Amino acid sequence: MMPIALLKFPTDLLREIFKLCDPFELYKLSKCSKRAQKSITLGGKRNWKISFFGGNEMFISTGYSNYYFNKAMIPKNHLLTILGEYTNHIYIELPVGGVVDLFVYLLEIFGIRTVKSLESSFYGLHNVSKVAKVLIDKKIEIEGFWIRNIDDVQDAVHFMPLMNQMIIQKFQCSIEFPPEFHFEFVQYPNQISIMDSFWFNINQLLNSTCTRIHLQQSELSNQDLNVFLHDWKNTGAFPKLRYLEIQSEKIDNQSPILEMIPPITNVNNPRTKISIRNMFDDHIVDGVRVNKDDGTEGWLIVELGEWPILKFLIADPADTVVEEIPEDDEDDEDDEDDW
Amino acid sequence: MSSTEQGTSSAAPAEPTTAPESAAAPEVPESFYYVHGKDKVVHKVSAGALQHSALIHGMISNLGYTEEQAKANPFPFENIDGDILQMVVDWCNQHKGKPTPPEDTNLPKQKEKLFDLVLAVNYLEIKELLTYCCKQVAMMVKGKSPEEIREIWMIPTDAEDEAAEKEAKKRAGKEAAGETAAAAGDAK
Repeated sequence: MMPIALLKFPTDLLREIFKLCDPFELYKLSKCSKRAQKSITLGGKRNWKISFFGGNEMFISTGYSNYYFNKAMIPKNHLLTILGEYTNHIYIELPVGGVVDLFVYLLEIFGIRTVKSLESSFYGLHNVSKVAKVLIDKKIEIEGFWIRNIDDVQDAVHFMPLMNQMIIQKFQCSIEFPPEFHFEFVQYPNQISIMDSFWFNINQLLNSTCTRIHLQQSELSNQDLNVFLHDWKNTGAFPKLRYLEIQSEKIDNQSPILEMIPPITNVNNPRTKISIRNMFDDHIVDGVRVNKDDGTEGWLIVELGEWPILKFLIADPADTVVEEIPEDDEDDEDDEDDW
Repeated sequence: MSSTEQGTSSAAPAEPTTAPESAAAPEVPESFYYVHGKDKVVHKVSAGALQHSALIHGMISNLGYTEEQAKANPFPFENIDGDILQMVVDWCNQHKGKPTPPEDTNLPKQKEKLFDLVLAVNYLEIKELLTYCCKQVAMMVKGKSPEEIREIWMIPTDAEDEAAEKEAKKRAGKEAAGETAAAAGDAK
């Protein structure tokens, strides 16, 4: 093959060529020389996203495919590449600073500005903490941050203050913090989903700026939820909120929520299902309509039983679908709720 | 000056004697322009073919040259080798008035000319051909190791880059010193 002096091309041309290369090719090119590495960086920011789970691998999503960078366990596998239709792997020797240095290297050479997923999955929070600090320094947004599967919960306790400096779209927490744990969001993620949410108190709910909140094993009571919903009714309150789901053993039939004693459900026919287009999880069946002072419509349902739950969906004519449920579909809807 | 004439000439259509209501607009005679590269060989190309080049299309828009004026004023592209310009002209003629298919079989095959072709196509702003050429360059390193990439794309090592940089600085210093000496001589 006739060689070609790539780096003699002007930057705009290099940019066009690099657009046609995958992350593995550019990574290998970056290893040829400092000038090659600089050319890739000058080639402009890409819409690629990176994901990291705390272990010895990370992957870059280019939109069509995922490119995994894995630690080569034996030296002879260095640069071994396995290409698939959507999933591709390269095995490499990690830099001296380990997997965190590799993460930073990939961020920099590819000009990545978005982390698709950051998780503490099986590998603890040690490397995730280091990566989080890098992302805070670089003001890089994280689309999804998930704390789960960690051995020592104290690691998570120590980690949580960093949350208020991270730019997070969706936060999921699936671990059980110790009873004395206390944390307050200053900077709220856009969406919150907390499995063992005793620590997410009424003040945090009242101060939240989220679009979606899912709380399981909450300690919020009828009184708390009544305060929240009365607050929501004020014009301008919780302007971004679209869906709230709170499962709490403290929801009961002893006191009213918005002047209604639970269970709160619409028993009239026809039955209705309210949902938000393209958000399949967020829907309410047999909800009761409540209105904000400015006329904004919300749909509320409170169910008791073994797992008392409150669901509240705020309608927006642009994306909210109100459907009548045909009578013969009633069983199906019940089944769906059971899921 | 030699000349290779390409494309097709067309005579003006006969004026219709009657004008039916639903008749299509009369066909406008195709205009031609002339270009030459470093070798001064002139290529006759239709305006339709030249539309692929945003640069030339911008130059000829509203020019209103007659055939004689166009012939007398070929566009000079002194920075493009004659054989490269020939390739580009051939491609433009083959793709006159139609978009390039994703896998174009009528594309220049000479790999050894790829570097100059890419530069020329980039300069002439022929978007579709540029995309294909860039694909060809990118494909060269599919599945290659860094060492192979270094060879194929002629990437100098860090040491070679440093040596070249030192040499360039030394040369620039000498040139600056020479200019200062010359200026001092002029002043005397």
